[in-house]
Amino acid sequence: MNKTVNRRDAGLVLLLGGPVLLCALAIIVPLLLTLMISFWERKMLGMKPGFTLVSYQQFFEGARFDVLLRSFWVALTSTPLMLLIAYPVAYLITFKIKPSQTRAFLFLLSVPFLVNYVIRAFAWADLLGRQGAVNSFLQWTGIADAPVDWLLFSDFAIYLGLVAAYMPFMVYPIWLSLAGIDRRLIEASWMLGEVPLMTFLRVVLPLSLPGVCAAAIFGFVGAFGEVAISQILGGVGYQLMGNAITSALDVLHYPMAAAMSSVVVGCMLLLLLLWLRFFDLRLFLGKMLGR
Amino acid sequence: MISRLQSIHRRDLLKGMALGLGAVALRPGIALAEGVTVTLADIGVGDPDGNWSSYTDATGNKVNVVSIGNGPSAVLNQLIAGGGRDTYDIINIVGGMIKPLVQNDLVVEIDTSKLKNWANNAYIQDYFKPGSKGYDTIAFDGKIYGVPTVLQGDSFAYLPENTGGTLDSYGALFDPKFKGFVALEDNYTTAGQKTALYLKSAGLADINDPADMTKEEIARVVDFLIEKKKEGQFRVIWSSFEQAVNLLTNKEVYVIDCWEPMVFAARAKGVDAVYAAPKEGYLLWAMVANIVNGKRTPEQIEASYQLLDYMLSPEYGAAITNLRGYMTNPGAPEYAAKSGKYDEATAKKIAEIDAGVKAKFTAPGGTWQARWPTNVEAYEEEWQRFKAS
Repeated sequence: MNKTVNRRDAGLVLLLGGPVLLCALAIIVPLLLTLMISFWERKMLGMKPGFTLVSYQQFFEGARFDVLLRSFWVALTSTPLMLLIAYPVAYLITFKIKPSQTRAFLFLLSVPFLVNYVIRAFAWADLLGRQGAVNSFLQWTGIADAPVDWLLFSDFAIYLGLVAAYMPFMVYPIWLSLAGIDRRLIEASWMLGEVPLMTFLRVVLPLSLPGVCAAAIFGFVGAFGEVAISQILGGVGYQLMGNAITSALDVLHYPMAAAMSSVVVGCMLLLLLLWLRFFDLRLFLGKMLGR
Repeated sequence: MISRLQSIHRRDLLKGMALGLGAVALRPGIALAEGVTVTLADIGVGDPDGNWSSYTDATGNKVNVVSIGNGPSAVLNQLIAGGGRDTYDIINIVGGMIKPLVQNDLVVEIDTSKLKNWANNAYIQDYFKPGSKGYDTIAFDGKIYGVPTVLQGDSFAYLPENTGGTLDSYGALFDPKFKGFVALEDNYTTAGQKTALYLKSAGLADINDPADMTKEEIARVVDFLIEKKKEGQFRVIWSSFEQAVNLLTNKEVYVIDCWEPMVFAARAKGVDAVYAAPKEGYLLWAMVANIVNGKRTPEQIEASYQLLDYMLSPEYGAAITNLRGYMTNPGAPEYAAKSGKYDEATAKKIAEIDAGVKAKFTAPGGTWQARWPTNVEAYEEEWQRFKAS
């Protein structure tokens, strides 16, 4: 019996070891290289290996640090906004729609992603412009006398673009969490006399929090590293970290780009650690794997 | 007998081949290369829609056009780390970055004596003569590394219906009358240089050379732009062709720092857009073709020279002027009118484009676009400051 188990374990290690090792190499090695290069010195168009904090110093003392703070703020504030929309959508799909229709609704959420994200951003620009459909409607109905300028090239446009781009992604993990809740727990709450709102607050919401957190991380990371939306809808040089890193690469300043990327990855790792600290990842993954 | 004849024939043949090859090699202008495929990395402007038949018919060589990004970093990255030195024979890119290309051994010196269309090209002789700013676009340290294939001068566009008349100064970009209806390009070597040209011409800043500013000078330019940005002067900073065209056609802005083909595109959509003739002069630039420094056989090098020479021919020039709306070489209008390949209206269009761009090059003032100025890092850093402000 033991021999059979050991053989099965060895088989599993062999089967999974390769892909796991490959994933680790494909993710960890580039990250380590990025970290290493961030300490190198720039020399002409290339780099000189060494250890200097010049790139970090330039980053924290220059205009790019303001971009980091802005990225944080935008990601931090847009994530709850996206959650507020994604959660009810996931809730409706899980509890209010017939199981036979669930797949269709989940598919519908993925339809926008069949169109390139840059084209989607341009479509928003067309809709929200001074001569766009939204402004025409507002004037036609008499809500506005003249075109509303802040619809486009503004914070409003950025948040709208981010919600449209990342909110649908956030529905999936929340739906997974909600779908994994044992319905008997909800029924027990009802039978014990809790009203639907209290059942939601004391049973459904706490049990769906791992999915909510996963969704929050998807949204936060996406918003934090966004490039196209800020460039197309943001107006006069609205910059997020993705734009600032690209700009450093435009002058082949690899150590600076690496330093900025390392700071961003560090922030993301911190968030993931917090997530792991507060929630049992196995519970969430188990639900994803159908266990 | 047969054997003897064969032996004689073989000897005669070998002797004849040796003499023939020697004669061919010694005669200038005779092609050694035939059946070679030249790989041309182009940003999309220099491809005559895949029609290289005249070059192929004349030389027996073919052209393989591959796309290359327009940004200086994209070009340099591709050549330094992307295997471009082994893949490309010629790169045809927007000039103004010869210095980093040469200093990093990415391109080779051009022997202009191998180009029969070089000496008789009046535009090269006039606008790229040694000592001129144009010369710095094709040469470094007194040696020529690039062949100018396309020439243009940039300014800004406006919608006369909305601005209420003709605009003839870059000052329109900063005029409070158009507050909130102005767009700039997200590019420190175009928007930055045009602003510098305006500040210098208007006596608002002490700038020695708008094409190659010191750290202090670019900082002064950006300070001015930040001041205007905070006043709400600019609606947006655009970063793609379509975006700029849409800004004009949707009348999102009335004054825009942009390229002339965007005006053509807006007009094609029925919008009355005008490309300004500013009194401060134009931002001049050229597409420059360079031979890449890589392992090449003599036949490949010869074929590359033949292609460069073809790109200086009136036939190629007429095709590119017609397709892209840029000036190419002095013989293009005449070729379009007399070759029988173009109808009268197209030939007229080519002549008008040529005359229009020529006027930009002869207009007073102006500056040449430097895509990799001496203080490029400071430019980028300052531009970040402008955008983040």
